[in-house]
Amino acid sequence: MEADSRLVLPLAALFTAFFVAPLVVLLLLSLHGDIAMQGWTLGNYVKFFSDPFSYSILIDTLLLGVKATLVCLLFGYPVAWLCASAGARWQSVLVFLVILPILTSVVVRTFSWIVILGRQGLLNQIVTGLGLSNEPLRLLYTEVGVVMVLAQVQMPLMVLPILTVLSKLDPNLGDASRVLGAGEWRTFFRITLPLSLPGIIAGCILTYAASITAFVTQTLIGGARLIYMPLNIYQQAVGANNWPFAAALSIIFMITVMIVVGVLGAIGRRSEIHGRA
Amino acid sequence: MAGRRRIRWEALSLKLVFGLLAAIALLFLVLPTAVVLLTSLTSSQSLRFPPPGFSLRWYVALLDADQMQRAGLNSLIVAFWTTLLSSICGTAAALAIARSRSPLMRAADLLFMSPLLLPALSFGFAALIFINRLGLSPSVPLLVLGHGIVCVPFVLRTTLASLSQLDASLLEASESLGADRLTTFRRITLPLIGPGIGAGAFLAFMASFDNVPVSLFLADERTEMLPIHLWQQIETNLDVRTAAASGAIVIATLILMLLAERFAGLTRQMH
Amino acid sequence: MTTFRTVTIDRRRLLRSAGGLALAASLPRFAHAQNKTLIAATFPGTWNEADRDVIAPAFKQLTGAAVTQSIILGTDQVSRLIAAKGNKPPFDVAFFDAPQVIDAVREGLIVEYPIAQSPNYKDLLPTAQDKWGPKITMQVIGLGYNPDKVKTPPTSWNDLLDPKYKGRVGLTALNSQLGIAFLAEINRLKGGTDENFEPAFKFLKQLLPNVGAIGANLGAFATLWQQEQIDIAPYNFNFVQTLKAKDVPVEFTIPATGPVGWSTSLHIVAGAAEPELAVQYIDLHLAAATQEKLLKPPYDVIPTNAKVKLEGAITKSLAKSLDDVAKIRTINWEKINPQRGALIDRFNREIKL
Repeated sequence: MEADSRLVLPLAALFTAFFVAPLVVLLLLSLHGDIAMQGWTLGNYVKFFSDPFSYSILIDTLLLGVKATLVCLLFGYPVAWLCASAGARWQSVLVFLVILPILTSVVVRTFSWIVILGRQGLLNQIVTGLGLSNEPLRLLYTEVGVVMVLAQVQMPLMVLPILTVLSKLDPNLGDASRVLGAGEWRTFFRITLPLSLPGIIAGCILTYAASITAFVTQTLIGGARLIYMPLNIYQQAVGANNWPFAAALSIIFMITVMIVVGVLGAIGRRSEIHGRA
Repeated sequence: MAGRRRIRWEALSLKLVFGLLAAIALLFLVLPTAVVLLTSLTSSQSLRFPPPGFSLRWYVALLDADQMQRAGLNSLIVAFWTTLLSSICGTAAALAIARSRSPLMRAADLLFMSPLLLPALSFGFAALIFINRLGLSPSVPLLVLGHGIVCVPFVLRTTLASLSQLDASLLEASESLGADRLTTFRRITLPLIGPGIGAGAFLAFMASFDNVPVSLFLADERTEMLPIHLWQQIETNLDVRTAAASGAIVIATLILMLLAERFAGLTRQMH
Repeated sequence: MTTFRTVTIDRRRLLRSAGGLALAASLPRFAHAQNKTLIAATFPGTWNEADRDVIAPAFKQLTGAAVTQSIILGTDQVSRLIAAKGNKPPFDVAFFDAPQVIDAVREGLIVEYPIAQSPNYKDLLPTAQDKWGPKITMQVIGLGYNPDKVKTPPTSWNDLLDPKYKGRVGLTALNSQLGIAFLAEINRLKGGTDENFEPAFKFLKQLLPNVGAIGANLGAFATLWQQEQIDIAPYNFNFVQTLKAKDVPVEFTIPATGPVGWSTSLHIVAGAAEPELAVQYIDLHLAAATQEKLLKPPYDVIPTNAKVKLEGAITKSLAKSLDDVAKIRTINWEKINPQRGALIDRFNREIKL
């Protein structure tokens, strides 16, 4: 036990030196009025909490993450399932397709999303060509568009953890369930899904965290019109050169999300224990 | 009889629903990259879709783009060391966290995840202030440490997920048979959690390779990083070489995966 | 075909470097500073190329010292200098747009420019002289339009309101200089003051039905033009020239109310490792010979040296003479800078579809 716990030390040391310390700098900065850090103030926090628009941005961002994560899970789980049940060769092909989005630089990808989602974009040409809609759909600069693109971009973060778990599942369990007369759906919901929960939770946490902080994707698809926390922070820091307020926003954002993720993790652990019992 | 038919229908419907969802997902996974690849083959002066004509000129131009090549090499070096650092520290920490139920370890787990939750721009800025207060200046080793912080969560999460599947009785059995801890780790644990570490390491590598905000603050003046350079090239002149660079990365990954496949196939045959 | 293209690219680069050397030969000599390196910030894009291909070879010839370019936007330069306060600054020469100069002076990031050591300074237009550092060019905004779609060139900012442009107008967010400058000019024309932006926001709300896209940054903006998602928008003279050179269908025109813009200037960073070299490097940007070179394509840099004779794209759409350059209306950043956060906030709240 002792020896095991000590394994955490290298990372703990790295974090203390290089993450906790900058975090303290950020915290101190947020408690001052200007970058010179003279005179303490809670003004930045008061400014945030006394303004309903500020928290509407925070809530929009948290919800955006939930939507993107759910869409990503809905489509990602079947992809992981397909990968796990495919032969070795097909599995490589599928994994290659899954990781494609992150092989293309985020900057270049943006160009292709404008091409795909634009008013005269590929998707609209297909939709109007098939007669599904007379008017071109508005996808660029809408939340639907942002959710779609986030779910696509973060797909590898969802699929890879689920796949590592699924591919190690004992196939005998499913067979046993079927022999006992349970249908495929029942077997899936009673056996496969609960057993793959660790992968799903890992995937959801990564996808959620990456979606809500995905500054580039959010701003490029959302334009400057849909405001989420990362853009808000960027505009205060770089646009208005108000680093103390940006620091306060960052800390509020991080703590809120930590609570969300902590709760998610706790639910996950509980269901894991239930699943085993 | 009716029961069996119901089961067969159920099996079919499950495959159909999952297959359909997966197919839609795969289409969307491929589409943007396909657009980038097609665009990179354009004969026009700037990024344009659909391309008015096809040519390999921008890939040829890539051979000549020393600034972009240097930036690419810098990003590769940083991503390599970042991946090594975060894989080793991340896996070790995951082993400790997975085997412990103490609240301290839960807190550590949350702490190690938090770099994903703090907007990287703020982290980069704060880290730069901190480095300067220490009297240091941005440099490649410090940049690797900064990237390491942001990339560790990927390794940690995927490794923890695969560790949760590890049957404790397997480890006990190994140890009761007289194997020491190291042997147990090497022969039992590592092969079982290997795919988890591998997936995390890959995600960490790509996260570092594509990182803009941390590099913006922690890269020194002489070290230009690829994603920042690409960003500037698109922003100022819709440079087609940016698409060609992405094309080159996709092709390189494909070749690496084919080689790995070949190699893995060979080792499988040797067993 | 491909080889032919590569050759032309190489030759163009060669010509630029040769231009740099010839330029150096025509300038007075400074004491040689072999083996020294100056670190100078520069903007991405045209300026990065101009500094690399024209200025750096001339500087090497002149002083024997090398230049390392740090390619970074003005706002990011301010952030990095602030974070590095009290320590060795990350670069010796800062490259700012006008609003950043005010922030930098307030934060003590730059020192006064030693005019006496800079022989070319006296040749600058009076409006380009500044004790904190000389202005090396002007950035001018006007209306960009797609000539394939917009047959009669617009003549007024009010043309943006024309119902025929429904869904075809582009805007940029207020974190860009372009966005703020447009807002300030509209505000002035509609009777607002630096304290009261009500008229500008009223105009923007009127404009909303026509707005097809608000570009989060200039890269997205350029893509929107190229993919013909927008046909008309407030745009920057130099960006339009760059896109035009790349066969993107875009033209630039100045509304009848006249050109408005801001200056770009060079500064010596407080605590610079090579202050003497920094002055020589900045002075090189001021020389008439340099500015004449940079006035030509692909740079199209608007000059500030009174001895330069205007020619090319600038005379077509922007200024007939240097007197016109001196008359380009500027924006009161002293007043606007402190309000930027509030203006961005307000834009985010009110300018939604």
